[in-house]
Amino acid sequence: MDIYIKGILIAYSGIQVTMKITIFAVLIGVIAGLIVALGKMSSIKPVKLIFSVYVEMLRGTPLVVQALIMYAGVPMLLQKYGIAFRWDDPIIASILVCGINSSAYVAEIIRSGLQAVDRGQMEAARSLGMNHVQAMRFIVVPQAFRIILPALANEFIALLKETAVLSIISVVEVTRRSMLWAAATFEAWPAYLGTAFVYLSITIPLSRLVAYMERRMAQSD
Amino acid sequence: MIEVNNLTKRFGKLEVLRGITERIRKREVVCVIGPSGSGKSTFLRCINLLETPTSGEIYINGEQINKKHVDINRIRKNLGMVFQNFNLFPHMTTLENITISPIKVNKMAKQEAEKEARELLKMVGLQDKAEVYPASLSGGQKQRAAIARALAMNPEIMLFDEPTSSLDPEMVGEVLQVMKDLANQGMTMMIVTHEMGFAREVADRVMFIDEGRILEQGKPKEIFSNPQHERTQNFLSKVL
Repeated sequence: MDIYIKGILIAYSGIQVTMKITIFAVLIGVIAGLIVALGKMSSIKPVKLIFSVYVEMLRGTPLVVQALIMYAGVPMLLQKYGIAFRWDDPIIASILVCGINSSAYVAEIIRSGLQAVDRGQMEAARSLGMNHVQAMRFIVVPQAFRIILPALANEFIALLKETAVLSIISVVEVTRRSMLWAAATFEAWPAYLGTAFVYLSITIPLSRLVAYMERRMAQSD
Repeated sequence: MIEVNNLTKRFGKLEVLRGITERIRKREVVCVIGPSGSGKSTFLRCINLLETPTSGEIYINGEQINKKHVDINRIRKNLGMVFQNFNLFPHMTTLENITISPIKVNKMAKQEAEKEARELLKMVGLQDKAEVYPASLSGGQKQRAAIARALAMNPEIMLFDEPTSSLDPEMVGEVLQVMKDLANQGMTMMIVTHEMGFAREVADRVMFIDEGRILEQGKPKEIFSNPQHERTQNFLSKVL
C-alpha cells in the first residue's frame, strides 16, 4: 500500500509546475484568443484570412510537435541567423507554446459565444444610441461570457491533461516526475497509477463545476 | 420630421423596397400595413439605419442621415425603436434595461436615470417590476418594458416593428393601450402592424405597402371602408 501512496506523492510533487503552465497558458490563450476571434470575425478579408490560417495550423498539428518546434526548432532557427538563443527554462517555452495552442481553441469558443447572442440584442442596443463598442461591452459580451464560461473551463481541463506531453521537452511536471521515478525504481504500475490519480483529483472537481455552471445557465434561460 | 426620397433596398438580388418617397409630419401617427414580405418592416428599419438603404435619401428634421460622416448614434437617440421580439437585455433587471442607455450614452447620473425610469415604468403600468429580470415577465409586460426603455432616451419619434405580433392574444390590448396613450400625448409614431382595429382607431394615416411600394394611403376611414386599389381590397378582405 505504501508504494501506491509513494506513487501519488511523487506525481503530486510535479503539480505546481503543471498548474503553473496551465494557468498562465490559459491566460495567454484567453487574451490572444479574444484578438484572434475578433480577427476571424473581421470584415477585412486579409485579416480574416491570416487569423483563419493561424487557427487551422494550430488545430491541425499535435501539441507535441508544436512544443518541439518551440523548444528545439526556434532556438536553432535563431542561431542560424546569428542570434544566440536558448531556453533557460523549458517552463517558459511550455507556457508560450501551450498559450499559443490554446488561443486557437479559445478563439473558436469566443467566436461561437459571441455569435450565439441573438442579433436582436445588438440591434436593440444600437437603436438606443449606443455605438458598436458600447453595445459589445454592455450588452453582447456579458451575455456571451456566460455562454463561454463552461467551455472555457473545459478548455482549462483539456489543456491541463495535454501538458503531460511537455515531459518530452524535459519539463518536470506531473507525468515527468512519475516517469523518472518509474525509471529509477521499476515501479511502473504504482507510478503511473499515481499520475492518473493526481490528474483526476483536479479534473473531476473541475468538470463537476462545469456541469453545475451549465445547469445554472439552462435555468436562467 | 421624417422625409424619405426614392428609397430602395436590395438584399442581393431581391428588391425589397422599390422607391419609396414619403413624409411624416410631427405628431403624426402612421400605421403601415401590408402582406408579409411586402417590405414594410424593412422600410421602418431603414429609417433608423438598422438596414442601410441601397439608394435614396432619408432626412430626419431636415438632416440627411444616410450619408458619410453622420453620427448615426446621435440620430438614433431621437428615434425610439420597439421590436417584435422585445429584445430586452436578459442579463439586466427591468430598471437596468431602461437606465443603461441614458447612463452610458447620455452620461446621465444613475440616480436621476433611475428616477425617470421609475416614472416611465409607472406610465406603462410596471412600477412593481423594476427589480425583476425579463425572464419573469409576461410577453405583454416585456413589450411594455421595451417601450419604456425606448422612451427613456426622450425620442421625438417612435418606431414600432410589429409590436404585438409575437404576443398571446390576451396581452395585445395592454400594449396597444400604452401605444394609444403615447399617441394621445402627441408622440410622432410610425407603426408596422397587423392590428387593423388599432390602426383604424389611432392612426392619422394608414399606408398600404405591397411589393416594396406604397400602393395606397390615406385616412384610416378611407383606406378601410373604401380602398381604391385592387390589391388593397384583396388584402383587407382577408384580414378584416
